[in-house]
Amino acid sequence: MHALRLIGAFLKVNVQMSLAYRVDTVINLLVNLMWLGWELLSLSIIFSNTATLGGWGPGELIALLGVFRLINTLMAALIWPNTERFNASVRDGSFDYLLLQPVNSLFQVSFARLTVWRAWDLALALVLIVAGIGLSGQSATPAGVAGFVVLAASGAVVIYSLWIVLIALTFWFTKFDNNVTILQALLDTGRYPATVYPTWLRVIVTFIIPIAVATTVPLQALRGELSPAQVAAFLAVGAASFLAASQVWKYGVRRYSGASS
Amino acid sequence: MLRIFQRLWQVNWAEQWQYRANLVMYLLYWLVSPVVYLAVWTAIADAQGSVNGLTANDFVTYYMTLLIVDQLTSEITIHIFGYKIQDGTLSGELIRPVHPILTNTLVNNVAFKALTLLALIPVWLALGLLFRPDFGSVTLVNVLLAAPAVALGFAVSFLLGAALTCVAFWSTRVWSLYELYAGLVVLFSGQFVPLTLMPAPVQAAAQFLPFQLFKYIPIQIILGRLTPAEIITSYLSGVVWLAAAALLFRAVWSAGVKRFSAVGA
Repeated sequence: MHALRLIGAFLKVNVQMSLAYRVDTVINLLVNLMWLGWELLSLSIIFSNTATLGGWGPGELIALLGVFRLINTLMAALIWPNTERFNASVRDGSFDYLLLQPVNSLFQVSFARLTVWRAWDLALALVLIVAGIGLSGQSATPAGVAGFVVLAASGAVVIYSLWIVLIALTFWFTKFDNNVTILQALLDTGRYPATVYPTWLRVIVTFIIPIAVATTVPLQALRGELSPAQVAAFLAVGAASFLAASQVWKYGVRRYSGASS
Repeated sequence: MLRIFQRLWQVNWAEQWQYRANLVMYLLYWLVSPVVYLAVWTAIADAQGSVNGLTANDFVTYYMTLLIVDQLTSEITIHIFGYKIQDGTLSGELIRPVHPILTNTLVNNVAFKALTLLALIPVWLALGLLFRPDFGSVTLVNVLLAAPAVALGFAVSFLLGAALTCVAFWSTRVWSLYELYAGLVVLFSGQFVPLTLMPAPVQAAAQFLPFQLFKYIPIQIILGRLTPAEIITSYLSGVVWLAAAALLFRAVWSAGVKRFSAVGA
């Protein structure tokens, strides 16, 4: 309850900040629509040359595009703005004030900034997922949909955990302000099913920077390709990575000694 | 003049070298999308033998060449010059007796390229080992024929990028405009797929736009996929676009500089 009220307060501040830039918001939406058009065009070019891509049809790739955009929104609306703020606060020492507040530091670092207009992206992503499933023609089983939802959530948690570890490294290496670029860089691999990639690339996006765990894997659950044991294993990976990440964060905060004093 | 460029080179090379960690990250960021499309299209071509006459090897060589050509013809003017207009640091450069964009910014672009290419070499060789391209169609003559096309592509892209950056004299929303422009480049330059796979209207429009000079044309010349007649037409259209881009840049720059009132200085 307390956490929800805090998120409400954060949201209010961020809405007020974004209201100062109304025209920019409209332009951002238009540019965003342009890229969506571009993404759909590239899918249509691919499928005018082939019937399936690695066994996946157009509907399934549209749904995958939706999941990809979901993760992309997570990056653009939360991860990027908060990373920027966090890096600056460790460098100039204003992280002190954050630690003084009676709220979990990780919670504050994660949710203080929100790019409000990205809510639009969230809605679009959901539309793409639903439309994609509809287009794919195969009747989605309730078990498949349930597996999809929980694995998409746990995949997002895996990405979020990796982010925590990457920014926590700032406590050890203050000048490490490129920390999340690697996440953003490999994100583009999430547009297509990891199964079409050569083995080395598949290994990277599954185990090292697990973009595929958040994009391809939920779709595989929807297609009914994953056994219940596999679904459970991926959920366990999600939970474990969050636990590990919060431990790293705790150690990092303990190392932090301020910049001003 | 040569001495000026020499000195600017030293300064800008040192400046770019300072940010080498950022540069590696940038390289990684920029590399992923072509490699993804390479993987996607070779998977399709492998599955059905060929796509529209293009074999898997045709795709591998196309994207591997794209990595180099894209690096050579791209420009970063908005990133290194845009803020100078907005925060007023441009005034210091305006006092100097040389054109700020055609000297300092140009050399900074080139220094950035040189350093990125240096970092690209090992990555490119590694990709070569992983994808095993057969560059049998590339001859020395092709490369020599393509070299001026690459230079032309960079000149046009640099001038258009610089003209666009100068919109910052009027509006702070120049970044959104630039993103729109980047979208056009992706669509019409052959960055996503060889243009021959694009829908017919896109291909037709690309003929009348400068963007294929940036990537598609130099790549096709290097790979020996253009007839002599096509090469000549490409060069002619390249020269026309160079003149148009130069005129556009001159007009925007001189109008913009008159408006400039050195904010904060």
